[in-house]
Amino acid sequence: MDEQKIFEAMITILKPYTKDAALLERATKDTHILNDLKVNSARLVDVIIKCEDVFNITVDDDEADTIRTIGNAVELIQAKLA
Amino acid sequence: MLPFRAKALLLLQIGLGRMAAFILAPCYFAVIRLMGYRIRNLRAIRQACRREFQRHEGPWLICANHLTVADSLILSYAMLSLPAHLRLYRWIPWNLPERNNFQNPFLVLLCYLSKCIPVQRGGPREETKRTLDKCTYLLSRRQRLLIFPEGGRSRTGRVDREQFSYGVGRFLADGGGDLQVMCLYLRGDKQSSYSLLPGFGERFMVLMDVFKPEKSALTGLRAQRDYAGQIIQRLAEMEEKYYDIYRQRHCGSDRSRQYRKEQGQPVSAAGLHQR
Repeated sequence: MDEQKIFEAMITILKPYTKDAALLERATKDTHILNDLKVNSARLVDVIIKCEDVFNITVDDDEADTIRTIGNAVELIQAKLA
Repeated sequence: MLPFRAKALLLLQIGLGRMAAFILAPCYFAVIRLMGYRIRNLRAIRQACRREFQRHEGPWLICANHLTVADSLILSYAMLSLPAHLRLYRWIPWNLPERNNFQNPFLVLLCYLSKCIPVQRGGPREETKRTLDKCTYLLSRRQRLLIFPEGGRSRTGRVDREQFSYGVGRFLADGGGDLQVMCLYLRGDKQSSYSLLPGFGERFMVLMDVFKPEKSALTGLRAQRDYAGQIIQRLAEMEEKYYDIYRQRHCGSDRSRQYRKEQGQPVSAAGLHQR
């Protein structure tokens, strides 16, 4: 799966957890999930679990701890799918 | 794995805290008395906690609902008497207060000497991980850790079964079979929602339940969510029990209410805690 498709899927995954949907329209790979999108830190785990379901991958604790931006998530998913 | 330096600093904090307890514990007991806080069946609660702590030396994960910033102090007061605070310092639980609440240097010192590990909620994951590593280390040394699984004061005033933090589940998923969970439900009679502090002269009820979460068939983050969900569910059940007790105390049981109606006697109006 190419990077753009993973990015788009990430935007869809993040939608229910983002307080202001307009923020997602301007989102880039550098967008910080907690600071910029105002996703609750506790809900970040839900986002990662949703990624596991959508992409059929497993993300462990240490890997989850590295995800800060949408780009981090995209890179991790891409590496898992490779 | 916690680095040697961090372990040494934690042990130093324990040593200094133990010495400071002889000054701080009587002061905080005095503050609780001055605020007029009272806890129903205090002796029975302390005896029950003592029984559990003697039965199982540790580690303990103490999980409570969260409505005011004074909850951890009141719970510690409810669990342990003043002599126990001094003699059994090890039994006093560690707390994870929000770092932003401790900007004043005096409060930082007080927090340091009172078995606190400040945590920045929603902060950098590396820092959160360091805090979790410290907690894991303390649990490996059979210490007690007081956690509010909701991740903050409940904005609805009730145990939030939807928006809770999964951090508590991490300890259960990673911890060995030795880790025991004690759930505590604390609420003041006049506490209808969350607030900074309980009202002056507040009277509290504390419910305690030792709880063994069902072994999760899931792994990783899903297991953490599952364990955290089980604890929240238990706290929510304790909340239901609290309201049942409260209703019976203030409105009478359903039977006596019915009896009073039949006898043409006045029946309490629906109050704050009546659903």
